[in-house]
Formats: sequence, structure tokens, C-alpha cells
Amino acid sequence: MSAAPRFGKVATGVAQKQLEAFGQSTPGVVSAVLLSADGFEVASLQVGKSGAERLAAMGSSLGAIGSAIAKEAGIVECNRMIIEADSGTVVIMHVPDAKPPMSLAIVANGASVLGQLLWAARNCCSAIGRAFRE
Amino acid sequence: MSGADSEFKIVFTGPMGVGKTTAIAAISDEAPVSTDVFNTDREAFDKALTTAGLDYGHIALDDGTAVRLYGTPGQARFRFMWDILGLNAAGVIVLIDASQSDALVQLDHFVDAFGSGKRTPIVIGVGRLDHAGAPPLDAFSQRLETRGLTLPVFGVDVRRRPDVLLLVDTLLCLIETADPTRLTA
Ligand SMILES: Nc1nc2c(ncn2[C@@H]2O[C@H](COP(=O)(O)OP(=O)(O)OP(=O)(O)O)[C@@H](O)[C@H]2O)c(=O)[nH]1
Ligand SMILES: [Mg+2]
Repeated sequence: MSAAPRFGKVATGVAQKQLEAFGQSTPGVVSAVLLSADGFEVASLQVGKSGAERLAAMGSSLGAIGSAIAKEAGIVECNRMIIEADSGTVVIMHVPDAKPPMSLAIVANGASVLGQLLWAARNCCSAIGRAFRE
Repeated sequence: MSGADSEFKIVFTGPMGVGKTTAIAAISDEAPVSTDVFNTDREAFDKALTTAGLDYGHIALDDGTAVRLYGTPGQARFRFMWDILGLNAAGVIVLIDASQSDALVQLDHFVDAFGSGKRTPIVIGVGRLDHAGAPPLDAFSQRLETRGLTLPVFGVDVRRRPDVLLLVDTLLCLIETADPTRLTA
């Protein structure tokens, strides 16, 4: 069940190009999925269909739980969530001002440098957000 | 926790839009934790928000029992959350929307996903029975019986606190009869 038409062909195409540029210019990126807040894949990089669907659903659950915890703690906006393990990193980053609301989930390996990864991801999210601002 | 004589974790589950979030909000002592997000799938169910993570509420009953109330997302893509939330649950409330054409199939699906009442007690709440063309309440019990399952089935409106409390009370009775040691544990 592909949800792609719901998200606008042109904006989705822009997002796909942004993801590819992000993957090429950022060391250690294993895969990435742009997902709607309710867990549908919008665009993806270096991941098969079922993997992308799973990462989209899990990324949206994590994002939603992260926001609830931030709210509970009195922090208004949860911009990103980072899961660090010895062998890699998962980042869920909010795409600013996108309609409908979206996040980017990134899986990176040990070759990545967190600061660089976050900086590149934020630029990627800003560009994607502009494409989905209608 | 909070000096309660006993505390139970129970899980509300069922398909999208059946009213899991509404049911927990109807009975929770405090405003529940919500992880509802913008719903882009208006074809599946036409409403503004849908639960992507979980619902969480809490209720202290008159007899000193405390109940932690968890709600799952409804869509199959969030199935991994069903497993996470089902872990260590003392009981499960399956909500079904009788106005949906696949209501009986959904019943099978969710009852099976949470162990068919064999691992963990299950109570069924069926909503929107007054909808034109909805199967009668009996059809839901019979559906379970044809599969050798005898589970309590109630017609409910999850927006009404007494209806949701009836489901919770029934489930707690089942939990206590299933495992009397839990009461003192
Ligand atoms: N008219 C009518 N509305 C109902 C009835 N039961 C529930 N509702 C409404 O149906 C909606 C259910 O929405 P939610 O509580 O978000 O449902 P949910 O099961 O949490 O949905 P997801 O999180 O998306 O899976 C609410 O707006 C309720 O008020 C009923 O018997 N009649
Ligand atoms: Mg819900």
C-alpha cells in the first residue's frame, strides 16, 4: 500500500533528490526514510520497500513518543531524537513547517561523525520542508 | 506505586478509529499522555488525528486497585507497538467498531494478535451497534464461539465513562480469577 500520491509528486521528487545528495555528501549514511507523522513512507534512500515501510512506522512512533516526553518535561518542541549504539546511530529529525507534518529517519554506521551528520541532516530537512510548504 | 494495594497494566487495542484514545480519556484520573499526530490516511478513517505511539492513563478504583491504562495504535503498520505494549499486560480490552464492514474479521485479527485470551484475559467492547447494517452483538460472541473461544462481549459507547468502566471491571474480575496470586503479589 503505497501512500506516495497523497504527498504531492513534485515535492516528493524534490525530497528524493535531497535525500540522494545528503547520502552522497555525508559519510556513514546507511539509509534514510522521509516519513509522514502518521508513519507512511514519503521518500527513501538505500532501503528496500518493506524496510522503508517499517522504518517509517517505527520512526513515527518514536517521534510521537519523543514529543510526548518533551511536553511532559516542559520542553515545547522536540526537534530531533538520537539513538546511539556502539556500531551506529539512528536520528529522527523533524522537518520544519512541512504540510503534512513529516520527519526524516536516518540510519548511520560507525563511519559517521555525529556533528556532521546532524548538520547535514538539518540542511536536508530545511530543503525538504521548503518543498512541502505548498 | 502510590500506595495502591495492587496495580495492573491493561491494554486497549483495536482498529483505527474505534475509540481507544477516547476510552482512556473517558476514565483516566489525570489527562492522559497522548501521541496523536496528523492523520494523512482519511480513506482508512476520516478523522484529524491518529495515535502513532501510545496512549497512557491511570485510574485508582475504590477498592484500592490501581490500573495503568495503555492504548495501542490501530493500524497494522504499528504492529510492533502492539507487541511492545502487550508485554507484561495483565489483560487486554479489544474494541471493535460494528459499523465497519470487516468488523468480524478485525475481531479475529486483534484477539489473535493478543494471544486469543489464552495467555492474557481479553474482554471485547463493540461500538456503533446502532449503525445501519451493523451485525448484532450476538454475531461477535458467536464468531468467537465458532473458534472455541468464550470471551465477555459488551456493546459500548466508549465516550461514556460507565461503559468503559464496565469493560475494565470485567477484565479485572477475569484477571483475578485467572491468577489469584496476583492479588497479593
Ligand atoms: N458517533 C459515535 N462516535 C463514536 C462512538 N464511539 C467513538 N466515537 C468517536 O470516534 C472517534 C474515535 O477516535 P479515537 O479515540 O481517536 O480512536 P482510536 O481508536 O484511538 O483511533 P487510532 O488511534 O487512530 O487508532 C472519536 O471521535 C469518538 O468520539 C460512537 O459510538 N458513536
Ligand atoms: Mg488513538
